[in-house]
Amino acid sequence: MNFAVEAKNLIKNFGELRAVDGISFGIKRGETFAILGENGAGKSTTMRMIACRSPLSAGELSVAGLNVSIEDRKVRSLIGVVPQENNLDPDLNVRENLLVYSRYFRIPKETAQARCAELLDFIRLNEKAEAKVEQLSGGMKRRLMIARALLHRPKILLLDEPTTGLDPNVRQEIWEKLEELRRTENLTIVLSTHYMDEAEKLAQRLLVMAQGKIVVEGVPRKIIENRVKKFALEIREADPIELQNVNGIISQRRGQTHIYFAENLERLAPLMSLYGSRQMILRPANLEDVFLQLSDAGAVESE
Amino acid sequence: MNIALAKIDLTDALAVWRRNLRVYLRLWKTELIAPIIEPIFTFFAFGFGVGALIGSEVENLSYLSFVGAGVLAFTVLMRTVFEMTYGAYFRMVYQSTYDAILATPVNAESLAFGEILWAVTKGAVDCIFILPLVVIFGSATSLFTPLSIVPLIFGCVYLGSLGLAITAHVHEIDYFNIFFALFFSTLFLCGAWFPVGNLPEWLQIVAYLIPTTSVIDLCRACLTGNFAARHVYEMFYLCVISILLLEWALRSIRKRMVV
Ligand SMILES: Nc1ncnc2c1ncn2[C@@H]1O[C@H](COP(=O)(O)OP(=O)(O)O)[C@@H](O)[C@H]1O
Ligand SMILES: [Mg+2]
Repeated sequence: MNFAVEAKNLIKNFGELRAVDGISFGIKRGETFAILGENGAGKSTTMRMIACRSPLSAGELSVAGLNVSIEDRKVRSLIGVVPQENNLDPDLNVRENLLVYSRYFRIPKETAQARCAELLDFIRLNEKAEAKVEQLSGGMKRRLMIARALLHRPKILLLDEPTTGLDPNVRQEIWEKLEELRRTENLTIVLSTHYMDEAEKLAQRLLVMAQGKIVVEGVPRKIIENRVKKFALEIREADPIELQNVNGIISQRRGQTHIYFAENLERLAPLMSLYGSRQMILRPANLEDVFLQLSDAGAVESE
Repeated sequence: MNIALAKIDLTDALAVWRRNLRVYLRLWKTELIAPIIEPIFTFFAFGFGVGALIGSEVENLSYLSFVGAGVLAFTVLMRTVFEMTYGAYFRMVYQSTYDAILATPVNAESLAFGEILWAVTKGAVDCIFILPLVVIFGSATSLFTPLSIVPLIFGCVYLGSLGLAITAHVHEIDYFNIFFALFFSTLFLCGAWFPVGNLPEWLQIVAYLIPTTSVIDLCRACLTGNFAARHVYEMFYLCVISILLLEWALRSIRKRMVV
């Protein structure tokens, strides 16, 4: 029972469509784990199965050591869920959203009120406690969703695309909160995202899904090292020049941009002179490079 | 056998019920105006307007006494049906309230039961406010008048369950039009505005198959104190129909929400 979440050959069918196609993975206690993938990859479906919102078509899935098909009620009392779409109650104000929700977990009234004040503090929405939900900004709504998922002090927090559609500074803010939670509450966090930077920043381990299958999984830094070389050279508007094939260098075209990956900087130097005065960026390789290469393999056009 | 009713957790259902109560209490003034205005106008229209045309007695009652049960049942049942169709559809589809609740330990059956319980409560509250009107307009002559809440509650359970089950099958809000067309047109057969006995025999059979007929007939018995043996059968019929439709509603909500 080392894993907070353990899946074996997990399958989900919607009629003819196989949304999740026999995936196996383990999420360790206390880590932040990311499920990456493009739209339609099967991230939400996987998250919903973990959250006991969606029955499995086949396979095994245990959360906190409990079988989700049998002990779903128990599992749901141990997890906090932030779904992809906000579903705050527009008929209630901010505080009522938390108080009413706490009843579904049978939290006694006094405890709920104290917890509610604590969480409003945590997400810095104290001043908006009496405000209607529709008066909140996108970032505030998302923070309130997170607070609502934490009411019953869950062991595992599931976040389906926590920052999609939010401004960069708001995303930063939410990331800080999630980091804080993992550090101070020893919470296991499972998040799905299609942002590489999000996964790279928050997750200790991750898996990438495409068409319901796992394409790669592991520690972000290791994946980058194993799948692409350490450094990347990006050249913009590179079209008139042919993509170069050099030994020991991986080359890739993304729309108008050429990208070369190499194990050390020296190997990239000759290319830099070849492209001359075009706009170039020399940088460490990141998860996005892996992601785009993997989805290229899955015949997905980039750009 | 897998019985949905057995999966209800009353504490959970009550938590759902209290969510609706909270919203209702914030809006209670507007919530109560409609069920009071409507019957007043219905009484004027039917009791005095139509009643004046009729002159003679209907089933040994003045028309005003006869129509009281119809006005009462019509107002109460309609509100319940609206709550479990448009109201439930809004919460389920537009506000994703059901989705939010199902992410907690509350299961689909308790959620559906809490919703129906709420619709019934709303009907019962309306009933309490309308009954004095029925008395004021002279339609209630019996000491059994307060008992009319019993058949009305069964009516609310059966129609609320039916409404919620249909809501669970509706994927576009316009489909409710068909349901309401059926609801309102059958309502004319159910003895609200004229006795079922006035209908041709085959239509009487149809009328008695519609449980609303039993609700109105039982209400009228309570308001006027004229009880008969058939009322026992009607009560039994309402019980059976209510349980069956409740089970159907619970199953439908699970089928819709848990995929
Ligand atoms: N309730 C559903 N009914 C039918 N198909 C669904 C349902 N939910 C998701 N799908 C399909 O399953 C696939 C995976 O969807 P999803 O898990 O939402 O992907 P992601 O979250 O990675 O974008 C998609 O093709 C989607 O259309
Ligand atoms: Mg998704």
